[in-house]
Amino acid sequence: MSRPGVALVIGSGGVKCAASIGLMRCLHSEDIPIDLVVGCSGGAIYAAAIALGLDAASAASMTTTLWTRDVTSQPDRRALLSLVFPKWFGFDGRFGLKKDTILNERLAQGFGNATFADCKIPLFITATDFRTGEQVTITEGRIADAVRASIAIPFAFPPWEVNGRLCVDGFLSDPLPVGVAIREGAHVIVAMGFESPNQERITSGGRFAFQLSSIMTNNLLRASFAFHGLAHHSEVIAVLPQFSQRIRLFDTGKIPMLIDEGEAAMREQLPYLRRLLAASSAPQTTGAP
Amino acid sequence: MSLSFTGERSLGDLSQRRSRIGLVIGSGGIKCTMAIGLLKVLAHEGIPVDVAVGCSGGAIYAGLYALGDDVRDMEARSLVVWRDLFTKLHYRSLARAIAPAFFGYHEQVGLVDDRRVWDVLESQFGMRTFADCRMPFFVAATDYRTGEKVTLSEGRVIDAVRASIAIPLLLRAWPVQDRLLVDGGASNPLPIDIAIMEGCDIILAMGFESHMTADVGSFTQAIGRTSTIVTNHLLRATFAFYSTAHHAEVLPIVPLLDRDVGITEWEQVPYLIEQGEKAAYEQIPYLRRLLASQGAEPAVVAPMQRAVSAEIGATSPSTWRSTRPAAPSASPPASPPASPPASLSASLSAAPPASLSASPPASPPA
Amino acid sequence: MVAITGSIDALTADTLVTALLDELQAGHIRLVAHFAGVEYTSSAGLRVLLTTLKDARQRGGDLRLAEIRPNVKQVLDLSGFTSILKCYAEVSMAVASFPK
Repeated sequence: MSRPGVALVIGSGGVKCAASIGLMRCLHSEDIPIDLVVGCSGGAIYAAAIALGLDAASAASMTTTLWTRDVTSQPDRRALLSLVFPKWFGFDGRFGLKKDTILNERLAQGFGNATFADCKIPLFITATDFRTGEQVTITEGRIADAVRASIAIPFAFPPWEVNGRLCVDGFLSDPLPVGVAIREGAHVIVAMGFESPNQERITSGGRFAFQLSSIMTNNLLRASFAFHGLAHHSEVIAVLPQFSQRIRLFDTGKIPMLIDEGEAAMREQLPYLRRLLAASSAPQTTGAP
Repeated sequence: MSLSFTGERSLGDLSQRRSRIGLVIGSGGIKCTMAIGLLKVLAHEGIPVDVAVGCSGGAIYAGLYALGDDVRDMEARSLVVWRDLFTKLHYRSLARAIAPAFFGYHEQVGLVDDRRVWDVLESQFGMRTFADCRMPFFVAATDYRTGEKVTLSEGRVIDAVRASIAIPLLLRAWPVQDRLLVDGGASNPLPIDIAIMEGCDIILAMGFESHMTADVGSFTQAIGRTSTIVTNHLLRATFAFYSTAHHAEVLPIVPLLDRDVGITEWEQVPYLIEQGEKAAYEQIPYLRRLLASQGAEPAVVAPMQRAVSAEIGATSPSTWRSTRPAAPSASPPASPPASPPASLSASLSAAPPASLSASPPASPPA
Repeated sequence: MVAITGSIDALTADTLVTALLDELQAGHIRLVAHFAGVEYTSSAGLRVLLTTLKDARQRGGDLRLAEIRPNVKQVLDLSGFTSILKCYAEVSMAVASFPK
């Protein structure tokens, strides 16, 4: 029987998701295999990198080139005008305040034409169907397309069509999709997720909207995680790095620190993880396979 | 979020005393008028309720019910209430929200005229307090600054309801003691956990999922769609956790509508009440069986004995038939069996009790 | 394949879980529950389904559902079940979904 490994779930969290590189580094150095990986929103970038077999250094450098401030620098003026005059400028469901040209270029640079078939381990990327609100699990096609769908932040970037479904950011349906790993038959699950921070001072309608959105998605994250922990037949280990400072969306300069924190957080859970894996590879007393 | 796992309890525990029944009405804007239909059914069927819980719009009806108001009066007043609540949109506040630099942002911004909302609530609740309720009553709200769920259970009912219906951007946040409260639906849209913590064994939980409109043709619709998606998932995630973690028997009533009903469409209220009634009736057969099962069985019954009496099926509410395959296939221990598992039929049909007053309508098509 | 008909609730839960446990103990750890006959389910009913699901998985198998009625599916969605187990439109698809 092969060595039992873990299923890894990386939730949404913008650049903070880079901490998962540290997590991966820790598991590699401990010779614990990752059997399956699920990614949502920012986490999809790293889930894909891990599934494709990139090592920690390559994954880190890919992030730094992919995720820069100019990704969201180009406002889409037509879209802005369509806000005020929806019929004249053709407001439709594919709305986004920023142009996604640079983002798309970067994704192509990072992932090229790699497909799910090129992955070394099963990869699952989640997005949200904008028409039905359902969670969408993407398991085939070009990886760049799947990641683009998963990080289609509402009102920032336009939704992205994958396999006939118009997709927006996966975090709207579940910021930390542990359910996907459970459904796919995972045993021990390691989950890295991030809460949205509370706004410091609410000084505008925009910040108010962010605060509200944070409240709801944080509550969704906690409730969903609690349920999945309860419903799973094995253990779901939450790896929650502690960041002593505030991380803004494009703080790519902080990536080395994020990676180290991610590794430290994984290391803390190692003793328990080892015991769990040792127990699951012990011979079954019931005689079932 | 507190985790309280009480493990499985067989029905033997329920049969020792009458169950404590909780009524929970969740958030859902104008769709909460469907709860009037539920209340009508409860009155008609004589179902006793021990605890009432409401969230957002649901707090209006849970509150009126807890205070002992006649449901026929609630129905008669409902059209006027919803017509008056949300038809006046306060555009100055909307302008402020969008262009704060010009109009000055304030935390308590709201689209709807507050005074009017207050007047409507006052016409329904007056200055009655939680102490005036004929059963324990609880209202769910959200702390705007921390996002935590907050339970209100004292003081004036009108204050608690006003806090709980403070849907952001539509209504101003409401200060209660030292907290700034908003819509309960942002943290706990269908608060069955409150009923569970109050010791309820059976919970009638009416929740409302928002309908997806066909097209998104404007910015406000796009915002609405995004918010609807998250709200529905939050409803499911919280419900899933509480109903799985605790032993209480939860009967979820989440009616499927064939149309979207906006918060200003008060003419749809009669349709909504009717849908609420239909959905509530679907739960009555099982609810009656549950209540009938108390006192009809000996105090301590082990699960296996129940299975045996179920086979005989004479007085027990459920019957069970099983056809086992003639020769079960032996599965090799090392690898999973190649052929599909053998068939088993388990029939859990319930004989309807003789006193059923209305046959449940067929479920509406999905 | 287990065909269940009627109501899965607090009154029938013990019966159901016993029947399903018998199947698992007999070595049939890859279960397909045929739900076409299930008219109703409540939280107590779903909890025993979850118990069976976890048990099957602990033994290296799984429980999958097929042919769920719309009103029952709605409760399964609300209760988070469709996010943690696989559901199929037809029994044949559910059976075929298990790896050979």
